Amino acid sequence: MIYLDYSATTPVDERVLDSYCKTTREFIGNANSIHTLGSKSKELLMQATNQIASILNCHPKELIFTSGASESNTTAIKGVAFKYSKFGKHIITSKLEHKSVLEVMGYLSNIGFEVDFVNILPNGQIDLKNLEELIRKDTILISICAVNSETGYKQPLKTIRQVINKKNPNVIFHSDLTQALGKTRFYLNDLDLASFSAHKIYAPKGIGILYKKRDLQIDTLIYGTTENCPFRGGTPPLPLVVAFAKAMRLISDKLETNIKKCEKLKAELLKGLSKYPIQINSNELCVPQIVNFSLLKIKSETFVHALEKYEVYVSTTTACSSLEESTVLKAISNGNKDVSTTSIRVSLSHLTTMSEIQDFLEIFDKVWNELLLK
Amino acid sequence: MKQVILIKYGELTTKKDNRNFFIRTLKKNILNKLSNFKFDIVDDYYRMFIIPSNDDIDLIVDNLKNIFGIHAIVIALMSEDKSENNIKEISLNMMRELNYNTFKVETKRSDKSYPIKSMDMNNIVGSHILKNTNYKVDVHNPEVLLNVEIRREAVYIYNSSIPGLGGYPVGTLGRALLMLSGGIDSPVAGYLTIKRGVELYYLYFESRPHTSIEARNKVISLARKLEKYNSNGKLLVVNFTKIQEAIYKNLDPSYLITIMRRKMYTIAEKLAKRYNCLAIVNGESIGQVASQTLSSILSVNDVTNYPILRPLCSFDKLDIIEISKKIDTYEISILPYEDCCTVFVPKHPVINPELKHIYEEESKFDFEPLIEEAVKNVEIVDLKEKISDLL
Repeated sequence: MIYLDYSATTPVDERVLDSYCKTTREFIGNANSIHTLGSKSKELLMQATNQIASILNCHPKELIFTSGASESNTTAIKGVAFKYSKFGKHIITSKLEHKSVLEVMGYLSNIGFEVDFVNILPNGQIDLKNLEELIRKDTILISICAVNSETGYKQPLKTIRQVINKKNPNVIFHSDLTQALGKTRFYLNDLDLASFSAHKIYAPKGIGILYKKRDLQIDTLIYGTTENCPFRGGTPPLPLVVAFAKAMRLISDKLETNIKKCEKLKAELLKGLSKYPIQINSNELCVPQIVNFSLLKIKSETFVHALEKYEVYVSTTTACSSLEESTVLKAISNGNKDVSTTSIRVSLSHLTTMSEIQDFLEIFDKVWNELLLK
Repeated sequence: MKQVILIKYGELTTKKDNRNFFIRTLKKNILNKLSNFKFDIVDDYYRMFIIPSNDDIDLIVDNLKNIFGIHAIVIALMSEDKSENNIKEISLNMMRELNYNTFKVETKRSDKSYPIKSMDMNNIVGSHILKNTNYKVDVHNPEVLLNVEIRREAVYIYNSSIPGLGGYPVGTLGRALLMLSGGIDSPVAGYLTIKRGVELYYLYFESRPHTSIEARNKVISLARKLEKYNSNGKLLVVNFTKIQEAIYKNLDPSYLITIMRRKMYTIAEKLAKRYNCLAIVNGESIGQVASQTLSSILSVNDVTNYPILRPLCSFDKLDIIEISKKIDTYEISILPYEDCCTVFVPKHPVINPELKHIYEEESKFDFEPLIEEAVKNVEIVDLKEKISDLL
């Protein structure tokens, strides 16, 4: 099997799984209980939270554990919209966002909010001039992801923050960092809100984080809050938090090495793909772990299924919107359907080997020729 | 051309002969704090430079913000090519990346052999930017102040500066012993003392079983917060139960607090001497509570000739709370655990204690053996947190 869909989800690291199991077995107390078992769990919860805070360079109280990035995105966007609607109902986002962002935006525009989409330049970055023009007095929120999940385009968060500060410093800046975590560096202080997910960094599914700047108030989405979860209701899922903290430590310790490795893999992959008449959509502004290209002549779905017969796993667009036309590529290619309906995403990891890339290229060649002859 | 961090020293500039010692200590403290990062560090009499190997500048700057002895932190572009054209181009590119309307150029030329004078350089760079952008010059209130520093080895160009914490590098001015109760004030007093370059040990009086393990853990958490600024501090825990019970059972209840505090300072002095601390620090603020009136301070201070520093003596409570929030101790301090100052509080503690009466009361009981025992059995608590191996 050649798994090249790490941006959809990752296999759980054995060491992380081990901590998950041990915590589940040994820490049965609810961190909210006042007895010894509870305080033992609470202490571990605090250590795990502190560890994550120190890796992300923020205060532990700024971290809210959620069920995943979709919940984090929803909470952030709805939370700001409902809390600040009296100051304005204008929101800015982009076509590069994950479904969970775009759908909340759709919902909000149905109930009277005005949502603008910032233009995207041909290189995949948002148009900062256009962003500056879009920001108004009644703009309350800007949500732009750090790394687009389909193409790997990175956005200049720091510059976006500068534009916001200049035009209207009251605007709250949210960024979905799901695809940035473990793939690239970022600086949380540039943001007011940020979303993370554990299962993209070799931890189990079912946990995410919403980073919320300490003095920022937003509406809560899930009620039933407690001392240990002062913002989001629910019993703290200790084994998942521990697993997340451990995975984050493991991935951040190796960030530099992993980036370098993926850069080499990506170069090899691109070299192999250069002999086909296809369009490479990822460029040098992208994270090295994601390589996106459009086959132009073959529909993406057909190709993914053809590769699957050889036990090669890649994506069409993102896992969450696989059967639709790519909105991102549609935006970048000026609506060229040949580009947006034939795209393939190959996502790499430090677990990927050079020989897997070479095998992939061989199988790619077979499938390419099979499908073109049909 | 490289991005570098330029560190401007704090009050060190007033030091002459021992300036190098201060700079060396600051450098050591910075290396300690940044042990997780890869970088080169260079210092001289006026500036320190950090040249990061990775894209870590923001994170390194965040760490530098917690180090005393730094007046300002600047992210600068450094280039060894000091030619007029190169300086013009770097400046122009820097201005293009910013999003403002007005600017001013300020050149400093510490390399006096450099052929172009500072004023002339201001004009050269300024007019180059004017010609190629929409910026306007505003010499009084510019949105961007573009600094060009021409030094012997390179030119440094930057446009903004981040304030540092000020103060002196920790460890340059000896060690003191902080009385840490668990309240809001003492951690703030400790922080302000560290700021003056003084390294701290912490002293906590425990009255088990009247005070709980939570109260002790709270003090440990507070000490850990201060360790972010301090280095290698130790927490000394004194078992105070017997002394406190003896006072409670034998002496005038309205003088309980005064006499208890006298015993604490007697012990503190002995421990300060043992651990090479040159002063005792507390969080007293004049008049805040009955034990902090001037006459209370006088009657407690009466037991020792040791210097007692009271950095908060003139602070209002609200100002103290503001600092405690800044250093992240406030929320720990307000946790509701009894400490040994609150377990046996008399209904009406004396506000103006009299020394004569104190001496009479103290003569009713021989505290000496209990004090010796408490000092002998002091417990040293490790402030390094033991992290679960599950993480």
